[in-house]
Amino acid sequence: MQKEKLKEKTPEETPSRAWAMGAAGWLLPGAGHLLQGHWGRALILGGAVWICFVCGLMMGGHMFSVGGEQQGISALLQIPPMIANLGSGLLYLASWFFDVGFADDPQAAARATYEYGTTFLLIAGLLNYLVMLDAFDISAGRKA
Amino acid sequence: MRHFLVMTLFALLSATVFGVVAKESPRDRFLYGIKVFAEFMIIGLALAWILYFIPF
Repeated sequence: MQKEKLKEKTPEETPSRAWAMGAAGWLLPGAGHLLQGHWGRALILGGAVWICFVCGLMMGGHMFSVGGEQQGISALLQIPPMIANLGSGLLYLASWFFDVGFADDPQAAARATYEYGTTFLLIAGLLNYLVMLDAFDISAGRKA
Repeated sequence: MRHFLVMTLFALLSATVFGVVAKESPRDRFLYGIKVFAEFMIIGLALAWILYFIPF
């Protein structure tokens, strides 16, 4: 009887496929759903993240990274927004690689849409974390 | 006008993701998305008017 109760309480093991879908979803927004055959969801969710990111870049937004000229507290303050930006996965990594949206340019900062762009880029990453978790949950059977 | 459009786009994209991720049935998703979108817009406009009267 006790053994049965213990068996019931044991948490279900997460299939490795779910982790792979989560990773795919993080790497390329919408890919986690696409690989599972949820085309509509992939299009809507991935599309929203892509649009948010591209609009952010077009508005002249700025992305954050650690290891620039900042030191001490200033460098530490770069970490939370960098984590948000990192949510965009490959989009962030490609931008970093090609140095798009990372330059500390006073002219870019003077643009009227600079702050909006930066916010859009942050939100794109944060939304993709939600999308990634959704893909993970679907693959793990916790969501329809 | 541009600021309003940017806010609307932001609310639309966020509400879309929230709606699809949070609910199960298409009807619930749509209604929740509309609700989140309306909240973003109303709170954004309310804050804009409040800040308009603050002189600093």
